[in-house]
Amino acid sequence: MSNKNSAVHAKKAEIFCRDEARVDWHSKALWTVREKRDRAAGSLPEWEQLRQIGSEMKLHTLTNLGQYLEEFEKNCLENGIQVHWAKDGVEHNRIVHKILADKKVKKLVKSKSMLTEECHLNPYLEQHGIEVIDTDLGERIIQLAGDPPSHIVLPAIHMKREEVGDLFHDKLGTEAGASDPFYLTRAARAHLREQFLSADAAMTGVNMAVADKGAVVVCTNEGNADMGANLPKLQLHSMGIDKVVPDLDSASALLRTLARNATGQPVTTYSSFYRGPQKGGEMHVIIVDNGRTDMLKDKILAESLKCIRCGGCLNTCPVYRRSGGHSYNYTIPGPIGIAVGAQNDDTNSIPWACTLCGSCSYVCPTKVPLDKIIHHHRRLKAEAGKLPYGKSSYMPLVGNFMASETMLNCSMSVARTALKVLPGSLLKPFSGAWGKYRELPTAPNSSFEAWFKKNRG
Amino acid sequence: MSSKDYILNALKSSAIAPQAMPVFNVAPRIDDLVGQFETNLNTVAGTLHREGGLEALQQKVDELMAQGLQVISMVDGIKGNRAVTETAHELRDIDYAVIPGDLGVAENGAIWVNNKNLGHRVTPFICENLFLVIEADTIVANMHQAASKVTLEKGEFGTFIAGPSKTADIEQALVVGAHGACSLNVYLA
Amino acid sequence: MRIALFIPCLVNQMMPDVGIATLELLEKLGHQVILPKGQTCCGQPMTNSGCFNEAKKTTLKLLNAFKGVECDAIVCPAASCLVAAKENFHEFDTSPEAQAVIDKLYELTEFLHDVSPIPAFSKPFPHKISLQMSCHGIRMLDLATPSEQMGPRTNKVEAVLSQIPQIEIVYPDRRDECCGFGGTFALDEGAVSGKMGKDKAQAHAATGAAYAVGFDPSCLLHIDGMIKRQKLPIQIRHIAQVINAAL
Repeated sequence: MSNKNSAVHAKKAEIFCRDEARVDWHSKALWTVREKRDRAAGSLPEWEQLRQIGSEMKLHTLTNLGQYLEEFEKNCLENGIQVHWAKDGVEHNRIVHKILADKKVKKLVKSKSMLTEECHLNPYLEQHGIEVIDTDLGERIIQLAGDPPSHIVLPAIHMKREEVGDLFHDKLGTEAGASDPFYLTRAARAHLREQFLSADAAMTGVNMAVADKGAVVVCTNEGNADMGANLPKLQLHSMGIDKVVPDLDSASALLRTLARNATGQPVTTYSSFYRGPQKGGEMHVIIVDNGRTDMLKDKILAESLKCIRCGGCLNTCPVYRRSGGHSYNYTIPGPIGIAVGAQNDDTNSIPWACTLCGSCSYVCPTKVPLDKIIHHHRRLKAEAGKLPYGKSSYMPLVGNFMASETMLNCSMSVARTALKVLPGSLLKPFSGAWGKYRELPTAPNSSFEAWFKKNRG
Repeated sequence: MSSKDYILNALKSSAIAPQAMPVFNVAPRIDDLVGQFETNLNTVAGTLHREGGLEALQQKVDELMAQGLQVISMVDGIKGNRAVTETAHELRDIDYAVIPGDLGVAENGAIWVNNKNLGHRVTPFICENLFLVIEADTIVANMHQAASKVTLEKGEFGTFIAGPSKTADIEQALVVGAHGACSLNVYLA
Repeated sequence: MRIALFIPCLVNQMMPDVGIATLELLEKLGHQVILPKGQTCCGQPMTNSGCFNEAKKTTLKLLNAFKGVECDAIVCPAASCLVAAKENFHEFDTSPEAQAVIDKLYELTEFLHDVSPIPAFSKPFPHKISLQMSCHGIRMLDLATPSEQMGPRTNKVEAVLSQIPQIEIVYPDRRDECCGFGGTFALDEGAVSGKMGKDKAQAHAATGAAYAVGFDPSCLLHIDGMIKRQKLPIQIRHIAQVINAAL
């Protein structure tokens, strides 16, 4: 999705990095989550087996996706659940609005859904006169602040408690200067309880859609999805086509890794299975494509649809932790954000916001090969002539240069001499980003090849 | 073409190689299921009452009612001071809900609750505090076993509840009591 | 054994001491070591940027340098270059001759652990070293179990080095977090790369070790720049230099 605030990732990251104390705070907070994840994962002897099962089960489902989606729809209909299909975000938003407008809904309570962020549902509904209240605490914080989420599980991880305190004082009337998380959370509880009780409809995302039952699974720690869905008589659930799993066993297997990998908890507080509306109520499920079938046409990109949105790859990513979730030009940041969002990045830079270290692929509970996918995006960008950072002009030169021993030897010999005889201060401007952040290397006297010729030749 | 047909049609050009459904042959950890359950329930900020059973629970409920608190019980043999209301919204002032769980899961402290035992579906979420009652011999080792035992009939709602509601959305500081119940006490019947 | 050295351009031009140490240690272990002529870049800077066309010429030239060379193994003291060479050779040449070269490729630690273990070290290395567990070596070459992975653990680097008398091996905090070099990443994303390198250099120094020791020269060069910028009391060494000093 093109974004009026888009700039190359390196630029946004450089701005984020100017406040080093804040970078350290951000990086440490997320690394702590990674450490909790390690402890939770390590407590299960079968952890690696569960990752393998998760990967194979999701791949199996994706290879038979049409069949499972139809089975899911058929069973939903038998359970009294109405099912809608949307090609893209625009159609999704139109469907949601029509359902709400038919029931004259004025206020919608929403629990976290990255899909509705992806579709930009909130502004659409607000334009049509429907009040949308995000009910996950982190989501509510950023909604009140007018920020996009900076993490898919911890949407307000970029904000400090004092900033939340000031925001709540301004918007919810909490005491000035109060920043205690317990106090602020209780204030939000009281505020949102009134919203739940006065809402006309509720909407949630979907963690898994169980094909053979015709049920959707929604996981939260706060209980906001269930407070929402079980009060008003109208409940809506939006899901990407990739959320379907064959059966309860499959859903349960993913529930074993989801929370452990996300936050280090053994399971989310609430894992709720909706196999039909409440008595006298109405339940709708909207199945959305929005580019997913296109990704399935590329066998490397397709594997990103195994993702269960735990956020584990963000927490471990050394670049995400030091550049922040708003530097990616896409709703979803971090490794998975690059994997599913690179094609929409009009700066073409996010595939390069990565050192290809591979940590994300090893953290992933369904073995999404994130580093391979990101590398593949670079190749796709190169093939499409959309390289960032001036690469399209210098890469062919580097290619020729590196392929020529003579050129390489001559120029490196000049470089070694320059490093030796010139003062560092004179070299720095010529060495670009390297010298800005690091000292230049000490130059050796000769190349290894020359030494070999002399000593073993 | 309808959007459904469009999507199903687009799926025909999927590039992924066929993959068989894997077999879930995960060895369960079966030693001391109640002990494992208690440890993990504590991890998710819940408390287990192993001794005393329903009698101890009724005594606790009586104390609460004596303080003027509102208690609704959906458990046979436990008497509260509130009945199932006409609308779900009228449960907004419930201080304590007593609800039967169908089974417990040792590996994570979760308890399966089916809407047949809830009155209104919102009961375990809207109450300020929650008591869940399970039988010790319903505790299974892991989620694979739980999946094969839970009941979720056509049209039903069911949920695994693991501890009281919680959040860490402000600077990763854990706060128990977000939107759902602020405490969870589990009694073994 | 007859061993052909694969000396990546960075080692050849900027860290010849690493090449010399590799050569000397292999000779001390009784191997016959040769240096095939015509070695060029493995193509990693280009392929990592998605530019496969631009990488083809140099990759094939490097491959040709090894084709038909009579040897039992091709050993490289740089994990990242070795991984790239393997992948890129395969990408651009699927002939049996290319496969024969690929099958003989070993990173130095891998060679000393899996193929030709060191019988005994003759000298002590009485220093504390902090191991730099670079990403491609552990996550693509299996030199050690990455910290993300659960279950049984292996660590070939420690297994080889721990045999040296009086050596003390420690690890930095966040032991296998990327140092931020990442090839052209260091230039494209200077701010983040610089911050990652700074954090890594500080983590190594905080162990109190005399040396930060690793198997990937490019990471070491980057960390060295960070150590010097911050004037930290620690130096970098390549494993070949440590092993050679103990033989």
